Order: sequence, then structure tokens, then C-alpha cells
Amino acid sequence: MKRSRTIAVVAVLLMGTTFATFASGAGEDTTTLTYVYWGSTAEDAAIRAALQAFEEANPTITVEPMYLPGDLDGSTYNARMTTMAASGTLPDLGYFRPEEFGNYATNGYFMDLSDLVERDGMDEAYLDQTWLSLNGSIYGAYTAAECQVMWYNPEVLEAAGVPTPPTDYRNAWSWDEFVGYLRQITVDENDNHPGDPGFDANNIQTYGVVYDLWTAMYYPTLWSNGGGVFTDDGTDTIIDSPESIEAIQMLADLIHEDQVMPYMGGGSGLPSPTAMLQNGQLGFYVTGQWTLLELGQMQGFDLGVAALPIIKEPAQLYVSGLNVVFDATEHPEEAWALQKWMMDPSRTLDLYTSGLWMPTKESYYTDEEDLARWLDNPVHPDGYREAVVDSMQVARTEPIMVRNYNQIWGDYLNPAMESIWIGRSTAEEALTAAADALRESGLLEGLY
Amino acid sequence: MNTKAVGLRKRKETVWGWILIAPLAAGLTLWVIFPMGLSFVTSLLKWDMISQPEFVGLGNYISLITESDLFRTCVKVTLYYTVVSVPIQLILALAAAMLLNANVRWLGVFRTIFYLPSLIPLVVTSIMWLWLYNTQYGLINAMLVGMGLDRVQWISSTAMVVPSLVIMSTWSIGNLVVIFLAGLQGIPKTLIEAVSIDGGNAWHSFRHVVLPLLSPVILYNLIVGMIKALQLFTEPYIMTAGGPANASLSIVLNIYNHAFRYGKMGAANAMAWMLFIMTMVLSLIVFRSSARWTFYEGDKR
Repeated sequence: MKRSRTIAVVAVLLMGTTFATFASGAGEDTTTLTYVYWGSTAEDAAIRAALQAFEEANPTITVEPMYLPGDLDGSTYNARMTTMAASGTLPDLGYFRPEEFGNYATNGYFMDLSDLVERDGMDEAYLDQTWLSLNGSIYGAYTAAECQVMWYNPEVLEAAGVPTPPTDYRNAWSWDEFVGYLRQITVDENDNHPGDPGFDANNIQTYGVVYDLWTAMYYPTLWSNGGGVFTDDGTDTIIDSPESIEAIQMLADLIHEDQVMPYMGGGSGLPSPTAMLQNGQLGFYVTGQWTLLELGQMQGFDLGVAALPIIKEPAQLYVSGLNVVFDATEHPEEAWALQKWMMDPSRTLDLYTSGLWMPTKESYYTDEEDLARWLDNPVHPDGYREAVVDSMQVARTEPIMVRNYNQIWGDYLNPAMESIWIGRSTAEEALTAAADALRESGLLEGLY
Repeated sequence: MNTKAVGLRKRKETVWGWILIAPLAAGLTLWVIFPMGLSFVTSLLKWDMISQPEFVGLGNYISLITESDLFRTCVKVTLYYTVVSVPIQLILALAAAMLLNANVRWLGVFRTIFYLPSLIPLVVTSIMWLWLYNTQYGLINAMLVGMGLDRVQWISSTAMVVPSLVIMSTWSIGNLVVIFLAGLQGIPKTLIEAVSIDGGNAWHSFRHVVLPLLSPVILYNLIVGMIKALQLFTEPYIMTAGGPANASLSIVLNIYNHAFRYGKMGAANAMAWMLFIMTMVLSLIVFRSSARWTFYEGDKR
């Protein structure tokens, strides 16, 4: 008696849920995609808006945003990806850390996009660097085009009597000219400049420049002096070449010799460079172009952009996160549709007009109308096109296909750089030692 | 007596015994023994969790011991931190406990105040100390400058970074204080009175009554503190990322880097096992030596 009643209850419950499922499905086939990404809260909001627009345009597809707030070097994002890959719970598509691309692609975690790219005529329409391939197959794309820029505060320059810097990336200031102006800007509490008798380096009121000092940001300076980090085949390092050592020493000299730049790492305690720039405590800030998202929103301050100083030749970096479709997805067509959507600047224009990204689509660099669509707004300062957009013509990509990229930087090169920035060793001492140790470590295993 | 009945009862007891320890045994197997075994197996592999694992035998251990300068660095950093921080923590905690034991008013309030920092998550503590240690605007340097001294580069210089972490570690000694305090309150008043009747002063009662009777507690705090110090991770992870120039790279941070940043699961697990062995050896040394300096009531001396 009791048992049959239990069975009846269970049956009713089961029927109830079945009906509920049918009702919500409304007889329609809906597909759910999970899109994984990192970024600031502003980027999160922009991505969510883009995904929502995609849902509205494709009523049969629902997109589940999977937001993993990240760190600068992406180690927590990487760790999360690794655990999801190992447990077979990877999402359908989304952002991916560039340094891990080769390893995952080799091991078949990404969907081969070659046929789809060709079918939809996508390869011609995008910048050459955009598509990432391995062994002849395309496995992903750079999400955006991002690079190094030099912002400045015009009021600080004017007060120091520094002329308006050039915006043509081919005819920028030479390094010596640049350092001269930086000395002019840098001033301590008693109006002394570096080199003046009685200059107090511990109480500097306004600094000439801040260079962001982390992995990707070293490349343009190295390249501009004819140096670099790896040989083309990735089996050796050239960080101890005379050109590389000279370039890094030039940056170190800004801190210790010329005294025009603070060292921002490890609890220096200065406010963020963006805040210093806005407060007039800083003349120039050399950083990633994506900081425009934050700087463009600051009120009451007129942001200037200058071409990067040239040591020997103009150089620029092409850096960005990646977008991939994971091989485990059950909906390749829908995932590809979303990937295309996210790569199309006309669908996600906010991400570009806000200053966060630069497009990967070629026409947005060549076609006047498309250029105006993302540059013609109060966020992008005058000269942005000549100084930044045009400089992408000489941009080289970060050598992400080098095996053990993270460990080479994390265990060998970054500690060497740090000991240079804190003034414990010269560029020659630290980089020679690091390069020797690196060669002995067996980590220089070439490219993927 | 009927031996058969006893046997039956015994067997019943045995069965119940097994049933009662089953949850613990299962938990221990599932969450301790199995992961440890898995970790050991992984330490014999070259594996990044993405590609096929490759068996390398003891290769990871051998290359760590013979080749890796970095492993030597992190062992040195960790031992340096442990050797300096643990005695300082013990001395300060004992001093604080003795002050609290001195019949102060609002003992409960003070005990809570001393214990509070231990309740704050280490990440929060780390961020707070990051502000305090700030070279330019940190409170500590502001005080130094106010006293006419020079600014100290606390966590941004290779020489000061470990001492800075040691100073920071003394902030959350609340656990030790509470345990010491409990030990102190267990010391019979009569013994201390006996010292004063015999004409001894405070130092005599501390040296000949308090310290011997407290020695088992000191041993416990020493072992626990040592193990905790050897597993230093959160502070360098949050505050310095092991820098500057690897001067605060602890063993566990190095393990984390290899496992989750560099995809070197094998090397990471090998390091974890070497840390385990190191911890065991050090604990054994302390235990062995403790027979000479700990005193248990009822012991013959």
C-alpha cells in the first residue's frame, strides 16, 4: 500500500518534469554555447553585450558567458584551462592564452578552422597576422590587434617647454632627443632637474616617463635596436646579443642613470601610471594601447599620443589574446558563427570605439569609411591613426610558438630583468648569466 | 565461561569497530592516501596534463637535485625564512602569552585582539602589508621618514624581502599565543609560590618552573610553526610573485609555478615529495632532540 503510493508520487513528479521540459523547449531546437573569456569588468560588460546581440540575431542559439577575471600573466586562466582540458569539461569557444596555443593545438584540443575560413572567404579580409596555423591548418585567430603606444599629458609637456611630439611612426624622436626631453620634464620638489646639483631623486614631483615593464612590452624596444629574445627557430636566445643588452640597458638607464623614470614594481607604492598621467605627475606613459579604455573615460584631461621613439628603426608589436573553437564542441557550425560574429568589428563596434581593441579586419585599416567608424570619436586622440594604427604596418607578433615560453620568461628572463630594474646588476651581467643558464636548462626546444 | 559466546561478542565488536571507522578510513584513503600515491606516480612522469604522459623514472628528482639552480634557490629561501621566522614567532608569542597571563583585566578582550589577526585570510593580510611596505607612501616608511630616517625598500629589494615576510609573519601569531596561554594557565600556582618562598625571583620561576613545564607546548608550537613556515606560499604569491630576482621564491610557490604556469606536473610533484621528505627529516631531528629539553610531568629526570 505504502509502496504503491510512493511509486505514484514519483510517477507524477516525473511526468511533471517531462512536461516542464517540453514546455520550455517549445518544440524548437535551441543550442547552447559556452563562451569563455577574461578581462576587466569593462571588457566583461562589452563582451556580454556582444553575446546578447548575437543571441538576438540568432534566436535558436543561447550563449552562456563564462567570465574568468584574469591576471596580467594569465596564469590563473591557464590553470583553469588545463584543469578543464584534463577533466574534459572545456567550453565551446572563447579566449585563449597565446603562449599555450602551440601545445593545445598539437594535442588536438582545437577545432580545425581551415575549411570554414576558406568557405566563408575570411582569410583575405583579415590582417596577415590574424590567423594562427600549425602544420598548415588554422586553429585560431587573434581576438584583436593590440600594440604598444606612448601617451602623454600635453599640459605637463607644455609646462616643461617640450615641443609637441611627432605622431609619424617613421619620423619619431630619436632615443637621445627623447631622453633629453624627459630630463626637461622630470623635476623634484625644489624645481631641480636630473643632473642639477642638489637634485633629490627620492622626492621627484613629476617623472618624465613610465615604461610598462613586462614580457610583451620589452619587444618593441628590443626590435627597434635590432635585438630580440629568440632566434627565428626558437632553439637559441639572443637576449644576450649586444643589441639586446644595449636596448635593455637604455631602459634601465632611464631609471638609474637619467633618473627620469620610477621603478613601478614590487611595492614601489606609486599610484598607477594612468593616474599619475592624469594628475600631471608624469609626462609620457609607454604601455599597451588597450589602456585607452580607462584613459578615454577620464574627465578633464586632454590625452595626447606620440609615435614611439626610434632607437635604430621603427618597431611595433602585434599582441593579443586568441579566440579558438574547442574541438570538444558539439555545435561546430554555431560556434563558428559566434566566432565570426566576435571577429566582425561592425557587430562589436563598442569594443573598438571604446579604445579596448583595434580591429583585425583589413578594411578597418585601409578603407576611409571603416576607419572613421572606429576612430572618429572623442576617445581616440588626434594623431592616433599615424602614431598607432599606421605603425601596425611594421608590427611583428610576439614569438608565442616558442616551446616553454612561460617558463623561459618566468624562471629565467623575468628574474634577470627584475635585477636590472632594481639596479642590482647591469643589463650585460644579468642577461649574459640568464642566457647561459637558459641554454643549459634544456628549455630552448624550438617551436611548435 | 562459555568461550563460544565471548568469541561471538568479540566478532560482533570487531564488525562494529570496522563500521565505525569506515567513514574515516574511506576518507583517509580517498583524500590522503590516493592523492599521495597519484602525486608520487606523477612525479615519475613528464606530463603537462595536456599531452600524453611520458615515463621518466627518477629523472625529475635527479635533474632537480643536480641541475636546477632554481630549486636550490627556493630551498635556500624557504630554509632562511623558516630558520629566522619560527624562533622569532615563538619568542614573541610566549612573551605575549606571559603578558596576558599576568592577571590583566579584560583578559578575554586582549586574548581576542591578539587572536583576531589569525582569523583574517592570509590574502587580505598580504594585501594590507603590501600597502604598509609601500616604498613611497607606505605607513612604515612614512614613520621612518618622520623620525628622520631613510626610506627602506622593504619587499622591492632582494636583501629585505625575506626579512619583510618574517616581520609580517609575527603579525598572525595569535594561534601560538592562545596555545601558550593555555599552557601557562595549566602551571600550578603552588610551584611558583614555592619558588618565591625559597627566595627566588621572577627569572628563577620562569627559568626553573615555567619553561620546563611549558616545554611540551613549545615543542608542539615549534613543530607546527616549522611545518607552516616550510609551506610558505600565499605571501610571496600575492606580494612579490617570488621576486625581486627570485629572492622570495619559496618551494611551494615554485611547485605552483611548475604545475600551473609551466605545465611541468612531474617536476612539481617531485618537488612536493622532496619538500615532504625535508619536512619529515627536520621534524624528526626536532623530535629526537626534544627528549633532552622537554619535560613531562611524571617523568623521571
